[in-house]
Amino acid sequence: MHIAEGFLPPLHAAAWTVVALPFVVVGARRVTRLLREQPQLKLLLAAAGAFAFVISALKLPSVTGSCSHATGVGLGAILFGPAVMTVLGTIVLVFQALLLAHGGLTTLGANVFAMAIVGPWVAYGVLLGMRWLNVPLTVGVFLAVMLANLATYGVTAGQLALAFPDPASGVAGAFLKFAGVFAPTQLPLAVVEGLLTVVVINLLRQHGAHDLRDLRAFPQTFVPEVRS
Amino acid sequence: MRAIDHYAWTNRWRDRHPAEKLLPALALLLLTLILPPLTTGPLVLAGTTLTVVYGAGIPWKTLLSVLAAPAAFLLAGAPFLAISLDFSQGFSLHISSEGMWLALATTIRALAAISCLAFLTLTTPLADWIPLLRRVGVPAGLIELILLIYRLIFVFAERALTGRRAQTARLGYSRFDRGVRSVGLLAGNLFQRALEQARRLEIGLAARGYTGELRVLTPERPLSWPRLTVALAGVMLIGLAGGLLARGSP
Repeated sequence: MHIAEGFLPPLHAAAWTVVALPFVVVGARRVTRLLREQPQLKLLLAAAGAFAFVISALKLPSVTGSCSHATGVGLGAILFGPAVMTVLGTIVLVFQALLLAHGGLTTLGANVFAMAIVGPWVAYGVLLGMRWLNVPLTVGVFLAVMLANLATYGVTAGQLALAFPDPASGVAGAFLKFAGVFAPTQLPLAVVEGLLTVVVINLLRQHGAHDLRDLRAFPQTFVPEVRS
Repeated sequence: MRAIDHYAWTNRWRDRHPAEKLLPALALLLLTLILPPLTTGPLVLAGTTLTVVYGAGIPWKTLLSVLAAPAAFLLAGAPFLAISLDFSQGFSLHISSEGMWLALATTIRALAAISCLAFLTLTTPLADWIPLLRRVGVPAGLIELILLIYRLIFVFAERALTGRRAQTARLGYSRFDRGVRSVGLLAGNLFQRALEQARRLEIGLAARGYTGELRVLTPERPLSWPRLTVALAGVMLIGLAGGLLARGSP
């Protein structure tokens, strides 16, 4: 759900950039250190980033200067952890702005905050909680990705509401308005992306993605199932 | 995506120094954001369109198709800025004239900003941004990662299209539930192939003495100060005209 270039007033655009910057810098440090310690991971991360871009290019229209599609952010956060995903997500967002004219440079901060920071952390947090509660993996993955998607959607609606408060009912009214406008595309989309990610994770587990061993955020998840 | 990348590499201004395109475009983007949009926006839109079509020699149709997708989102969304919800007496919807102006101003500002972005992306290939990133202080490892992602995006997009075509031919998208399963399988398969590709690339590069940096020769492209000055003067002119017009008609 990208906010289009120039849609946010300058002050908001600048403020969201400032908010997003520390997360990206910390993530970038982490990725640089990771790459120095294990140079072979660079290509794996590159492949994951390109994958996220291609997946997200399958887009559906929605309204209000923004649009919706599978983000691949939930999957990335489950595989690589949220800090790494913030960096990959930021790179992907820049590419989307420059290759698809989708999103933008001035709204990059706002989009990064919603999609590359809030989304991954929610997915990671929810899955961590689900593992701790011993909920079956597929249910956990589904919930994590769905909630991450919904959180991204909520944050974007919030960002738009803060920028364009309703003259009569203020920010809360504007939030309802924008959230309501997105709901018809976002709610089904969140469910679909959840289901989709479960299919992907199952496939990866069955075929034992050994490459993920070094990087995985959830170690026990990708041990291939022993089949008798 | 293909069209943007294609014209970025083949347009008439391809061989100009990137700064000649980056600096004016970013300056114009900034002006679009901070100046009153109702007067500045149309001027910016006209300026970028003329330079893209007559300067860089990119066909009208391409520019329109690049602008069309974001413009459609904007036009669909703008009415919601004009409508106002009121809970004070039950629940009611209003359209206020302020809301209409806000919607109009936001749409014009966003359209103008998108046209600046389109100018940049249609005339400057992504690879030309790299020196800028280096200068801003992005670590070499990350820049390498960005370049690799750029390359792999096209490889994977090709594969995704092929896979999708094959699935469609086998009725993989004939029903909603099949569609979800098909996309999931496509994504999973693509991911595994992506990992495989990454591993092969890594082995191949290691065999060629890869130490974590791909060195490439960048052709020497002298920065033309006159051109840069003219471009920036044009940007200033648009900004001044926009600002003055706004003051003239409050």
